[in-house]
Amino acid sequence: MTVPYSLRLSLQRLFGEIWINLLSILTIAAGLFIVSLSFIPVYNLDVVAKKLPDKFSMIVYLDNSLNRNDINQVVNSLKKNKEVNSIRYISKDEALKELKSTLRDSTFIFEGLDENPLPDSLEIKLRRDAVDPNAVREFSEKAARIDGITEINYGEKFLSTIYYLKVGLQTLGTIFIIIMSAGIIFVCYSTVKILFYRRKEEIETFKLLGASKGFIRTPFLIEGAFIGGSGGTLSLIGIYLFSYIVFFRLADKVPIFKSVAIPENLFLSLPLVGILLGITGAVIALGRLKY
Amino acid sequence: MIEFFDVTKEYNNQTALRNITFSIEKGEMVFVTGTSGSGKTTLLKLIYLAEKPDKGEISVAGWETEKLKESSIPLLRRNVGIVFQDFRLLNNRNVFENVALVLRIRNMNEKDIRTKVYHSLKTVNLRHKSDSVPEALSGGEQQRVVIARAIVAEPTLLLADEPTGNLDVDTAAGIMRIFNEINAKGTTVLIATHNRELFKNTGRRVLRLDSGNLVGEEAE
Repeated sequence: MTVPYSLRLSLQRLFGEIWINLLSILTIAAGLFIVSLSFIPVYNLDVVAKKLPDKFSMIVYLDNSLNRNDINQVVNSLKKNKEVNSIRYISKDEALKELKSTLRDSTFIFEGLDENPLPDSLEIKLRRDAVDPNAVREFSEKAARIDGITEINYGEKFLSTIYYLKVGLQTLGTIFIIIMSAGIIFVCYSTVKILFYRRKEEIETFKLLGASKGFIRTPFLIEGAFIGGSGGTLSLIGIYLFSYIVFFRLADKVPIFKSVAIPENLFLSLPLVGILLGITGAVIALGRLKY
Repeated sequence: MIEFFDVTKEYNNQTALRNITFSIEKGEMVFVTGTSGSGKTTLLKLIYLAEKPDKGEISVAGWETEKLKESSIPLLRRNVGIVFQDFRLLNNRNVFENVALVLRIRNMNEKDIRTKVYHSLKTVNLRHKSDSVPEALSGGEQQRVVIARAIVAEPTLLLADEPTGNLDVDTAAGIMRIFNEINAKGTTVLIATHNRELFKNTGRRVLRLDSGNLVGEEAE
């Protein structure tokens, strides 16, 4: 059977050339570890960005002269927009109550305040897919044209910052992952190429004795998969140790570490990613075998 | 079994073989002779497709080589046992594994491999050396390992390139005895040699090459 013999052959070669293979495994492990590490901030920002639509709300301030009927008309006009999910009316009294509750440690602010300076307002929740800087701005411009609305507040800068940071980090992360993956493929490619050249004579003999391309290639592909997979497994162990030390043991001293999310399921695929990159490197290294 | 029609092969504008035409019947044992550089090795390489002709047609065991797809080349080679001039033994494997490789390439099961390899090693009288590495063997023993490897899969055609190269007379005679036995079992044998003593008075057909030209074809 080809596979068990190929497996035996590749294991013999792997242990026969232990230093070059070990070095390749460590290089791949380091590469995947760095990729995984850099993925943590991207992942966390993504988590925050995903939660944002649920937390996001827009406050529409109403003209003081509006009566209940007028307010209902404004609400109906707003509801006609497909971006709107829900609208809550906040009376000026309620708003003041909420403000006082928020600033309960600084009550002096309200001393000497005879009249409620706050306007009536509407809290608008938008649909999840409508919460992006451009859509929100467009909606806000549309809403501002409705009679009775004096001002709209939705933390435009914050929203933009989060979104552009997310897009920027995602782009940077993607570029970084592509570069590192290319590097890892190159390591596997170089290793298999070196092993291939070292065995050029042997491979030539194989061909002359009637070996098929599959028979020649399979041990190299197994080696590539083993080197990549081992590198991936080592990086997984590394990232777990790192997470444990930094985000678990140091969380008491650095509180922000407590809220860091670790993409565990994604990291569990590191050995598989390593295997795929290893095989890719081996395939490129072997190229097209000619008889 | 083998047919050459008007075959020419050149290396860097130097003609190695020129307009060669001959045929070898199934079950024949034929010698190719000539001085060094006369084209003997090139002729054998064209048969097992290590080289392709620049002109002409070659047919081996029913395969027309110029029409052969690359993926079919291994299939043709599995019909041919080759005794290489430079042995091509793998020094990172013992004698058993060197011979067994031919069968592993054919996906044979382990039990059959053991039976066939030991039988083949017994034929060349090297059963007791199966665990040795080729480097630890003498030239004559290495030559016999190469023959064991060439015959282990019972090919229909056996090619031997200078099989008695630098061997003493007795060892060479022993190796020729093995070839005769293999041929007697029906395998077609083609031996390239510069040693006239190997085919003298054998009654076998001899193809004479001189500077790439086929200058004679007669029985000795």
